[in-house]
Amino acid sequence: MQTIDITLTVNDQQQTLPVKSNDTLLEVIRDYLDLTGSKEGCGEGVCGSCTVLLDGHPVRACLTLALEADGCAVTTVEGLADEDTLSPLQQSFIDHGAVQCGFCTPGMLISAKALLDENPSPDRQKLRQALSGNICRCTGYAKIVDAVAHAARPESGCPDCHTKDSGGDHD
Amino acid sequence: MSNDRYHTVGKSILRRGAKERLTGNPIFCADMEPENALYLKAVRSRHPHAGILGIDVSSAMSVPGVVQVFTAKDIPGKNLMGIINKDQPLLAEDKVRSLADPVALVAARTPGAADLAAAAVSVDYDPLPAVFDPEEAMAQDAPQIHAKGNVMVQKKVCRGDVTAAFDKAHTIIEKTYRTSAIEHTYLEPDAGIGFPDEDGTLVIYASTQNPHYDHKEVVSLLGVEDHAVRIIQAATGGGFGSKLDMNVQGFIGLALYHLKQPVRYVYTREEAFLATAKRHPFVIHMKTGADETGRITAMQMKAVCNTGAYGSYGIAVASRAAVHATGPYAIDNVNLECTAVYTNHPFCGAMRGFGTPQMALAHESQMDLHARALNMDPLEIRVLNGVKKGTVTATGQVLTDSVGFQDCLTAVQPEYEKAMKGWLSEPTPAYIRRGVGIGGMWYGIGNTGVQNPSTARVAMDREGQVTLFTGCADIGQGSTTVLSQIAGEALGLDAMDIHVVVADTKYTTNAGATSASRQTYISGNAVKQAADKLADVLLTEAVNYLKIRKSDLRLENGRVFDSRHPEKQVAFSRLAPRILDKGGELSWQGYFDPETVPLHPDTGEGIPYSTYAFACHAACVEVDVLTGETSVCRVIAAHDVGKAIHPENVIGQICGGVAMGVGFALMEEFVPGETISMNDYHIPTAADMPCVIPIIVEASEPSGPFGAKGVGEPALIPTAPAIINAVTHALGKRIYALPASLERVLDASIASGHFNNCYQES
Repeated sequence: MQTIDITLTVNDQQQTLPVKSNDTLLEVIRDYLDLTGSKEGCGEGVCGSCTVLLDGHPVRACLTLALEADGCAVTTVEGLADEDTLSPLQQSFIDHGAVQCGFCTPGMLISAKALLDENPSPDRQKLRQALSGNICRCTGYAKIVDAVAHAARPESGCPDCHTKDSGGDHD
Repeated sequence: MSNDRYHTVGKSILRRGAKERLTGNPIFCADMEPENALYLKAVRSRHPHAGILGIDVSSAMSVPGVVQVFTAKDIPGKNLMGIINKDQPLLAEDKVRSLADPVALVAARTPGAADLAAAAVSVDYDPLPAVFDPEEAMAQDAPQIHAKGNVMVQKKVCRGDVTAAFDKAHTIIEKTYRTSAIEHTYLEPDAGIGFPDEDGTLVIYASTQNPHYDHKEVVSLLGVEDHAVRIIQAATGGGFGSKLDMNVQGFIGLALYHLKQPVRYVYTREEAFLATAKRHPFVIHMKTGADETGRITAMQMKAVCNTGAYGSYGIAVASRAAVHATGPYAIDNVNLECTAVYTNHPFCGAMRGFGTPQMALAHESQMDLHARALNMDPLEIRVLNGVKKGTVTATGQVLTDSVGFQDCLTAVQPEYEKAMKGWLSEPTPAYIRRGVGIGGMWYGIGNTGVQNPSTARVAMDREGQVTLFTGCADIGQGSTTVLSQIAGEALGLDAMDIHVVVADTKYTTNAGATSASRQTYISGNAVKQAADKLADVLLTEAVNYLKIRKSDLRLENGRVFDSRHPEKQVAFSRLAPRILDKGGELSWQGYFDPETVPLHPDTGEGIPYSTYAFACHAACVEVDVLTGETSVCRVIAAHDVGKAIHPENVIGQICGGVAMGVGFALMEEFVPGETISMNDYHIPTAADMPCVIPIIVEASEPSGPFGAKGVGEPALIPTAPAIINAVTHALGKRIYALPASLERVLDASIASGHFNNCYQES
C-alpha cells in the first residue's frame, strides 16, 4: 500500500513519518516509533489503555487514524518523565501503590494528566468521572484515584476512604 | 504482631517493576518484536459441536506471505493439554467441542497474511447436536461431548446425619441460586513470543500464571526433552485464573519447533474473549435447617457447574465448591455435592475463587433468610454460627490456629451499626431505597487436598550479593516484592537489595501456579526456608570470625553483629569468601508443601488445606426502584490475612476484589456467541466503585511465613453476597440469580410493590 508522509511532534520531537492510510495512531506510535507505553487492550476504544494526548486532548490512539494526527503534537506516557525523574503524577502513582499489573497505567496516567492540565484541582467526583473511560481490572481504582487526587492537591493528604470523597458518604 | 520487630516485613516498600510500568518500558509480550518474527493465527471452529471430516489448507498455503499452516497431524508429541485432567487438544483432531476450538494454525510474514490464510483454511465439518445446559447434558440421551461421558466429576462432602437434623430443625430454608459465566477481562490480552536461541533451545516468553506448567505442556506437545524448551514469564497484565491455561504457548512452541525462527502471537480482545477460560456458571440447590436460636444444624447442597468443552480447572472448582459450601460456619450435619459437567459452552476454568464466590452467594443468602425467619440481625446470626478455634469443618478438620472470622465480624460491626442506625434513616428521594448487607467467607489457601509444593533458591555470591530465584509468576499482585521482603527479613537485608530472578524455567525451580491465593503462604515459606538456611551458614561462619555464640548474633544491613555489642560485626562480603574457600555452600534451596490429607472420595473427609483466610464485607447500597439501578455506596471489607507482609498490596487486592465483586453482583455475564468483546461486556469503571474501607485483620498463622496466609481470592468472595443481601434489604425482595442486572432488580422492585408505590406517588 502507498504511504503518505505525515508530521508528528511526539513528546516534543518533531518527525516525518511515511504512513499507510489505514494505519492507526497507535500502530504508528508502537510499531514505527517503538514507543510501547501506549497499549492495545481492546482495539475498539473501550478500555482506554491506548490513550494519548493529541494537541493536549486525550484520544483513543486505537481509533484515531494516523493521517488525522498529521501536524499534531502527541504526548505518550514516555513523554511524562524528565529523563530519570518521574513526573509528580507518576511519582504519586508509586507513592500510593496505584500500579498493579501496570497494563492500564500508561493510559490512566495520560487521562489523569489531561484532566489536571484542564482542571488542576478537581474534586474526587470529577476525577472518578474523568478516569471512568480507562478500565482497570486489578486495583478497583481506589489507589489510582488517591494518586491523582494527591498529585492535584499534595497538601490534602490521603483520605481514609478509598474512592469517594474523603469523609465518606454517611459518617 | 507489631511491625517494629521486623526489618522489612509489614512495610509497604516500593513495588518491584512499578517504575518500568509507569514509564512504558517494553516489558509485555506485545511490546517485544523479535526480528523477522512470523505472525501466528489460529483457525477456530465454526460449530459448537461437529466432527471433522477433513481439513484443506491448500488455498491458505497459496496466500502470499504464508509460511506454513499446521494441523493436528503436525504435532510431534501428545496432542492433549490440561492441568488436572488432560482432555484438550492444542489443535482439534476428529471433532470440535466448542466455537473456540482451534483446528489449524497459520504462520505468516504479516498479520494481514495470517488473517487471510486463516480465513482460507477449509474445514469439512459434520455438525453434531450440541448441548449448552449442564443439567440437560446430564440426561442419558444428551449429545456426548467426550467419549467418557458428560459428567466430568462429582465431589461430595458428607458428615453427621442430615435427615435427622432436618427432622429436628425449627426452620428450614430451601432455595435455588444461579450464577453467570464470567470473563476474566484482564487488561492485557494473551500474548507470547518465541525464538530459538544459539543452542537451539526453543525460548518462549509468555503472559502466564505458571511458567513451569507451560514448560511441561510444551515439552509434552512437542515430544522433546525438558531442556529443549525454556519458558520465561513476561510482564503479565493480570490473569485472575485464565492465564493458568495454555493460551498461546502451545501454538508458539509448535511453530518454533517446525520453523526454527522467531514467532509471535498476540490475541486480539475478541480472540481472548472467545478462546480463553471463563468462570463456571453454577446452579446451586441449597437447603439449610436451623434451631430456634438460629444455629444452623444441617445443610444439603447439590450444585451443577458447567465446565464447557474442557476440564481445565473444573475438577478443582467442583471440589472447592463442595468443601466451601458451608461458608465460614460450623454446621454439624452436611450433605454437599458438586457435579462438573461437560457441554459445548466455551471451556470454563479457574477464576479468582474456584467456585467459592458462587457458593458464597448461596450460603450468605441462606444466612440472611434464616436471620429474617427468626427476626435476628444478620450480623448476630453470623457471630452465632461463625467458625472459631476448635470448630470441626464439614471435612472433619479441626480448625486450630489463625481462625479470624469472628475478628472480621467484630471489625465490620461499628461501621455496620452506624450504617444500620444512621445512614439508613437519612432522608432520600422517594425513588431511592437504601439497604445494608453482610457477606462472610472462608477460603482454603492452596490446592484442595493435593500436594502443591513450592521451591525457591536463595544464593549469595562471593561479594556477598544475595539473589532470590523463584518460579513464582508475579501477575500484578506483587509477589516478587513480597517474596523479596520475606528473603530480606530472614537475612536482615532491605528487600530491594536482593536481586531477583523470577519465573524463568532455565534458572528457577517450580513454584507452582500463581493461583489459589497460595504464593505468599507456600512460595513465601519456600523462600523463607532457603533464606533461613543461608542465614544459618552466615551465622555459623560469623561465630568463628567474631568468637561470639550464635544466639547472640543478629543479621542486619548486610552484616552479622553481636546484639549486645553491635560494634562487633562482620560484613556478609567478608564472610562469603571465607565460607566458599572452606568448601561451604552459599546457595540454598527451600521447599514447602502445606500439610493436607487427601479427601475421601465418598465422604470428603480429610484435611483439604492447612490454613484458611477469612473475611466479612458489609455493603451499603441505594436502589432506584423506578429503574432498577443499584449504586453501591460503601463497602467495609475486613480480611484476616494472617500477616500483611506488604499492607499496601493487601489493600490493593481488597479494593480490586471489591471491584470484581461489584461486577459479579450487578453487571457481568458472558453469553457465548453474543459477548464478543469489551463493547458487550461491562466491568466496573472508576465511576461505579463504592467507597471501600479495607480493614486488615491479622490472626497469625503459625505455619505461615511471619504468620502470613493469602488474600488474592478472598478479596472478591464476600462482595457479591453482601451487595445482594443489601439489595434484598432495600427492596424486601430477594434476587437468586446473578448478575442482579437492571432488569432483575426492577422485577424485584415491581414484585415488592416499591415500583408501584413510588410511581403512583410521583
